[in-house]
Amino acid sequence: MSDHPTSFKGSVLDAIADSIRGAIEGARVEVSGGGGHYAIVVTSSAFEGKGLLESQRLVYSAIAHLMKGDDAPVHAVDSLKTLKPPKGA
Amino acid sequence: MQSAMPDAHATIRELVTTRKVVLFMKGSRAAPQCGFSGQVVGILDGLLPAYDTVDVLADPAMRDAIKQFSDWPTIPQLYVDGRFVGGCDIVRELSTSGELAALLGVDAGASATAPPVLELTGRAATAIMAAREAPGDELRLVISPAFEKELFFDGPAPGDVVVEARGVTIRLDRSTASRAAGTRIDWVETGAGGGFKVDCPAEPPRAASVRGLTAKGLRMALDAGGPLMIFDVRTDAERALASIDGAVALDDDGQRRLEATDRSARVVFMCHHGVRSRVAAEAALRKGFTDVWNLEGGIDAWSTEVDSAVARY
Repeated sequence: MSDHPTSFKGSVLDAIADSIRGAIEGARVEVSGGGGHYAIVVTSSAFEGKGLLESQRLVYSAIAHLMKGDDAPVHAVDSLKTLKPPKGA
Repeated sequence: MQSAMPDAHATIRELVTTRKVVLFMKGSRAAPQCGFSGQVVGILDGLLPAYDTVDVLADPAMRDAIKQFSDWPTIPQLYVDGRFVGGCDIVRELSTSGELAALLGVDAGASATAPPVLELTGRAATAIMAAREAPGDELRLVISPAFEKELFFDGPAPGDVVVEARGVTIRLDRSTASRAAGTRIDWVETGAGGGFKVDCPAEPPRAASVRGLTAKGLRMALDAGGPLMIFDVRTDAERALASIDGAVALDDDGQRRLEATDRSARVVFMCHHGVRSRVAAEAALRKGFTDVWNLEGGIDAWSTEVDSAVARY
């Protein structure tokens, strides 16, 4: 899947991380992957009191613009983890 | 994105409110066309005898409509009792915690939550003790519905089933516990060090792997008249463009034919380029087929190497 075609220029990893940090203040974001497929781990207190669905929606809405259309830079999110920071950290 | 298609939304609403469990996926329950859809099917198959699926690949309008309807950008999407549950990651987490079984109203259940008996060899116990970094570290065993096994140190999670063996505490999620009875954990030394070997009695026997077949190899096998069945996992639209004589479409009827086929028969899977068919071939291995082949390069290779009268697309 490393030949996923896209018209996107630049680092997709950075674009994903920056978009999430822009939408969720203070979020710690780790992105790995390539070729249209990415794994994302987001740690943020914004997920406190939210269910998995709501938490993942927050992240997906932040990167929606990168997932739109047939030649989107993000073809698939192979794994998305939304974590709350450890208590007292 | 283009504006919502009211008809498709009405169809979706009708479907999810009249059926208990609906999975919007790529491909069918019998032949998932994407790994994420396949994972969710594997999880649901472990919990439910029957549920409804909608193949978004068969209907591009539905693919866009369901993303709008759920306000969720990816496929698969699971609905239970008219409510959107989530995508692959969420279904996996809910399955692990046991919440999915509760949501589906199935008892995952009485037998699964009873701790299974595990066997730990002395060598394995020694290796675990040596690998432990802190006294509080606890071992977790995960056996996926496809019987992929993982063993690692982890903290407790809700719904865990806890098993003791040789003084070692092993945690299992409820889904794993339902498959783990009699599992034996050993430590084997190899040239490259050592590793854990996990044998699970519930795992169906399988061939070592899917074997690759070239287009020319398939031609020769057919010419030799050796009995084999070719299953074509592509869509009807693709088959209309190009096909191999005698290949059986792996739709619902084709899946029933596959199910009825002797497990020792030679079965060949094909698609456009050999990627989707490999997923179906791996699934056949898990069902107990032992002589499983994948047409490498798919119908495209067939067209370029064997029969140029077959159209390329």
